[in-house]
Amino acid sequence: MPASALVRPAADSRLPTPDQPVIEARGLVKRYGGAVAVDGVDLVVAEGEIFGILGPNGAGKTTTLEMVEGLRAPDAGTIRVAGFDAVADPASVRRVIGVQLQTTALFDYLSAAELISLFGGLYGAPTPPARADELLALVGLTEKRASRVDQLSGGQQQRLSIALALVNRPRVVFLDEPTTGLDPQARRALWATVRGVRDGGATVVLTTHYMEEAETLCDRIAIMDRGRVIALDTPAALIRNLGMAATVRAHVGGDTLPAAALAALPGVTTIVPTDDPTALRLQTSDAQATLVGLLALAEAHRVSLTDLASAQATLEDVFLALAGRTYEQDEQDEPAADSHRPPAKRGRRR
Amino acid sequence: MPALWSMIQANLKMSVRNRTALFWNLAFPAIFILIFGAVFGRDAGVSFTVGIAGEASALRDGTVAAMEAADAFAVEQGDAAAELAELEDGERDVVLVFGPAGADGRPAIDLAYDETDGPNARIAVAATRQVLLGVAGGETPLAIAERAVTSTEVSFMDFFVPGILAMSLMNSGVIGLSTAFVIYRERGILRRIKVTPFPLWAFILARVASQLLVAVAQSLILIVLARLLFDLHLRGNPILILAVILLGALAFLAIGFAISGFARNAETAASYANLVTFPMLFLSGVFFAVDSAPAWLQPITRLLPLRYLVDALREPMTRGRGIAEIWPDLLVLAATFVVAMAVAVRFFRWDARGA
Ligand SMILES: Nc1ncnc2c1ncn2[C@@H]1O[C@H](COP(=O)(O)OP(=O)(O)OP(=O)(O)O)[C@@H](O)[C@H]1O
Ligand SMILES: [Mg+2]
Repeated sequence: MPASALVRPAADSRLPTPDQPVIEARGLVKRYGGAVAVDGVDLVVAEGEIFGILGPNGAGKTTTLEMVEGLRAPDAGTIRVAGFDAVADPASVRRVIGVQLQTTALFDYLSAAELISLFGGLYGAPTPPARADELLALVGLTEKRASRVDQLSGGQQQRLSIALALVNRPRVVFLDEPTTGLDPQARRALWATVRGVRDGGATVVLTTHYMEEAETLCDRIAIMDRGRVIALDTPAALIRNLGMAATVRAHVGGDTLPAAALAALPGVTTIVPTDDPTALRLQTSDAQATLVGLLALAEAHRVSLTDLASAQATLEDVFLALAGRTYEQDEQDEPAADSHRPPAKRGRRR
Repeated sequence: MPALWSMIQANLKMSVRNRTALFWNLAFPAIFILIFGAVFGRDAGVSFTVGIAGEASALRDGTVAAMEAADAFAVEQGDAAAELAELEDGERDVVLVFGPAGADGRPAIDLAYDETDGPNARIAVAATRQVLLGVAGGETPLAIAERAVTSTEVSFMDFFVPGILAMSLMNSGVIGLSTAFVIYRERGILRRIKVTPFPLWAFILARVASQLLVAVAQSLILIVLARLLFDLHLRGNPILILAVILLGALAFLAIGFAISGFARNAETAASYANLVTFPMLFLSGVFFAVDSAPAWLQPITRLLPLRYLVDALREPMTRGRGIAEIWPDLLVLAATFVVAMAVAVRFFRWDARGA
């Protein structure tokens, strides 16, 4: 199966049109003390895109996003959002953007509906009840309209804060890890919400740790690592450009297989290092040929192969190839739907 | 200004729903008033102090003897002017001034009572008349001229309530605002507001405006409580008192706001706030007059803004004094506001990490 089958066909037609970018950030740098959090990032986002920023903890995703939002001042670089200069004229930018911060920040003692009305008020007119209901329905909180914020669960609070990001019908919506901490059903519902927002004419910029989410939801992805963008393209193109189609995995019982023989198997491009010595993981440009060869090799060495499987190449493989290490130590191998554990750093979220 | 109004409304809702704050703002000072009022607030028993003055006569002697024999009366004798002055100071309930003997051999009697005493005064007057009639034999009408006098009796509550008002304004301003802003910052609410078009000054103004409304409501409730349950007198120009309440609230809100700039988190904010409010609570004349503090403490008390708020509330409320007497206090409070606000703006931070 070709890698591009992973992606919605529409995605390729949504390539950026450079003459009308809604966000244009050049050479962004942010330092904290001696450490460089963001190190020369360029971002050009086209109107109507769902643009994803993917990367491990501390990669600089939040810092980048918040500089574009006008919330943190860059040490170098220029940013234009919807035609306004985010550094010189953040007030104009704030009018046309909607923001969900990584840390959910809500007033206690107000109900969900009251909070939406209040935020509408901050943009000039309290949100009419009908619109508040619409927003609550959009994030699946209709039943919680009268519940106080401090009585909502963490995931519900987060969904509410996404609804708040949409109160002013923004042209550009920034969502910092919108699905972290959501249950699988809520995550899928949120993807639909994000697509709906985009179809309504807005541009969405989001960060995520979930490879699968980036692949299925985003039109284009910037992969960040250590303050830099190490790749930027459509998910399909990112995978295609690596020249690998799939990953073959197995557990080897009995003896081990010689690395040289593995590398010589047809199609194999990389032997992926694993923590478990019995686990075998090969990246290949031809899964079928590799599988046939691997079975013969196991036969010859009299070892048993269990859990033999092949999977389409994913963004994780892309990250691995570009960053030279696995995405996260504790990340599961297969980015199958909803099987991800949330990343380690959860303490900050209420 | 709909944005500002939305924020003020939301703040008011939050204040009313925040039980802890509600307790500190309202129940805490109210409990002070109830406890202190129960202990010190009422004169023990129901007895009337009657001042007796004027010409000597059999009627006068009989009255003195009868009243001294009764538990319900305490008798003071003196000259007419002195006794009437005592009445005006609230030290007597009734003053009887006996005139020279008239045509029927009986003296005319001037009966003066303290009308600010309300129903109590009516009872005192009725009881006094009863005694006079009893002594006179009851059959011939007595010439009693009644006259109401307005006393400026300073009750315990008159002294205590302005102090408690000042205390609650200080607490809700300093402790309430400093912790609220630190929590907003810690939780990232300030940053969330910052990415909306709602300006910081408006956010602060909304908070201050809603705290002022709460402060006025809180003051009214305390005054009404002390008035209904105890013998608080209402004196002074209400507009002036309202203005003092607002100015005092502003000064302490500004101090609270300044503290929020220094404090790392809600706990440090609370301890800084206590550090500021606690000494003031005891050295500013909330519970006892500052003049009765030792001489070496006096200069220190002069440095405390609360002292000026207590004074600016107590002078009008207990003695009916006006702006002419309290303007220096108001000046100090205004200066406190300006300085604290300048410090607050200088040290304001959006972000807990200072980014
Ligand atoms: N306010 C700050 N002060 C000091 N260092 C900071 C600050 N904000 C971010 N950093 C540092 O900058 C780097 C990038 O942080 P950032 O929050 O942008 O990462 P991220 O990609 O969003 O990570 P995560 O996936 O964990 O949210 C990190 O090393 C972080 O420690
Ligand atoms: Mg982040």
